[in-house]
Amino acid sequence: MFEITDLRKIYRMGDVEVRALDGVTIDIAKGEFLGIMGASGSGKTTLLHMLGLLDEPTSGKIVIEGTDISQLTDHEKTMFRLYKLGYVFQDYALVPDLTVMENVSLPAMLRKDRTEEQYREDSFGILQKIGLCDRRDHLPRELSGGQQQRVSIARAMVNKPEILFADEPCANLDSENSKMVLELFREINEDMQQTIVMVSHEDWHKDYFHRIIRLRDGKIVSDGDNGS
Amino acid sequence: MGQKELKVAFLLALRSLQRGSKSSVILTVLIIAMCFTNMIFLPSMLNGIGQSITKQIVDYEISDVLVDPKTGTQYVDDLDATLGLINGLPGVKRASPHYTKAATLKYRQRTLGVTLRAISPKDEMLVSPLYTQMTAGSYLGEGDTGEIIIAKPVAGDPTIRREDEFQPSLGGVRVGDSITIEFSNGYTKDYRVKGIFLTGWYEADATGYITWSDMEQVEGKTLDKAEYITVKAKPGYSDEFIKNELLQYGVTHRVQTSEDVLAKNMGRTLQSYAIINLVSLIVSVLITTVVLFIVITIKTLNSRKQIGILKAIGVDKGVIMHNFGFQVIILAALGIVLGIIMALLLNVYMAYHPIVTADWTTSLYMTPMDLATNSLILFVAAIVAGYLPAYQVSREDIQSAMRA
Repeated sequence: MFEITDLRKIYRMGDVEVRALDGVTIDIAKGEFLGIMGASGSGKTTLLHMLGLLDEPTSGKIVIEGTDISQLTDHEKTMFRLYKLGYVFQDYALVPDLTVMENVSLPAMLRKDRTEEQYREDSFGILQKIGLCDRRDHLPRELSGGQQQRVSIARAMVNKPEILFADEPCANLDSENSKMVLELFREINEDMQQTIVMVSHEDWHKDYFHRIIRLRDGKIVSDGDNGS
Repeated sequence: MGQKELKVAFLLALRSLQRGSKSSVILTVLIIAMCFTNMIFLPSMLNGIGQSITKQIVDYEISDVLVDPKTGTQYVDDLDATLGLINGLPGVKRASPHYTKAATLKYRQRTLGVTLRAISPKDEMLVSPLYTQMTAGSYLGEGDTGEIIIAKPVAGDPTIRREDEFQPSLGGVRVGDSITIEFSNGYTKDYRVKGIFLTGWYEADATGYITWSDMEQVEGKTLDKAEYITVKAKPGYSDEFIKNELLQYGVTHRVQTSEDVLAKNMGRTLQSYAIINLVSLIVSVLITTVVLFIVITIKTLNSRKQIGILKAIGVDKGVIMHNFGFQVIILAALGIVLGIIMALLLNVYMAYHPIVTADWTTSLYMTPMDLATNSLILFVAAIVAGYLPAYQVSREDIQSAMRA
């Protein structure tokens, strides 16, 4: 599904060259719940941004379902993100002026293949799944951190993406809310066969992943099934 | 950019204004409204002055068409025949001859030099609204002799001391009083003041009127000549039509429409007004453009992270740009509507409280076309001011926007 070959990202700061990613090669299969772990500065967020088409690699190749991403135009990448990818950010990143329902519906509204009735139905359905239907007319600031992150997951899921990216989604949450969010990811993964790639530095999160890639200094130091 | 994208952009814009900072929205709308009012106020005022002066000149000086002697001659000769010819033409309501003579008015201890005008009261009534401007007494009758109507500033106010007067007067003449008039040819006679008028036009308000027959007595002969003839057109006939008709039917004197006369005499003034209007317009448009540019730039800078997130979740840069564009359009539309309301209220206020000077009285003169044109100019300026920063920020790459 995802073929990443020899991916490199080099930042230049004056004369200094920082290798954020240094020759990363991985495959991601459909239905996997993949955890990318490592210490701060190991390159895990950079890798997630490359995979999620939020940043350009210095070199290397990303092929998603047979499409070489480097061949896509800017607009095509935007459409690819809209139709095929979903994102959950550390700080929820909801639009503060939109209600829960509007935030969740936003990506679906832009799809050309969905009518208003369809995207309302989809948004309502996903809000029901995360248990926030009764808060659909509330603004993000009226929700707790855990609730906001669940809305963020609903927004990421509304277009039924091929792959869901989560960048330290529990970083701003207490352990109870973190568990709730991780359980939600697990449920989505198991019930909907949703491929998920999640970045985390919390060791206890590894229990939820099928497979864990550990990074250090931009390189993969281990790649294997959970517990291996 | 499809309909769906525009719909999403509009939704984002609307929600941002509805649920964002209310004080910022109110302040921006107020600034646009005030800029609009400023754009419309000064030109309307100058237009009002122009219109007021034009109307007063037409009403009390030249009417629709002016017939006066050609260069080198002093009078319109063969008056009876000329009047007969003009009054007989289709489209002519009436022609009124005018003859003026310098005179000194004497009342008690006061003397005042004026240029008196001789008219045929019946004809003048059909050409000028002077007869409607009587503040005391009555207008001249056709057969009146030894009677005069004078302007209120000429009659004066007995309660104002001479040294406090804005312009010299006779110090408080009332209807029925007798004043002595000494004409420039030495002819002197006492006249009874039949009426006092006030037109608001400084030239008319600095004089008095006597009948044609009285002037014949002054000159000691039948007057078959006039200094000029004013011609009023019937409704539905243009000044230009009357002018062409007069020339075609053999009026040998100089014939000018009111527009011709005003263009010659007021051309420079109107040109100056146009320059002032243009400067005022440019300043207002610049202020609005800069204010909106700053407002939208601040909005985009404060929303950089959100813009990055929107792009990350697949929202096209066009949607982001139009989101800010629509915000400007909504703000500009609200500002313009408020500006129009403010301008109309100002218009009503000034209609009841006109600006009065010694030379003219004026209120605002604005047409629906003025309002539409200024709205359009401001709207276009607002769109340019809003879309520039919106375009810039929508092009920023996701990483730098999200790091903001």
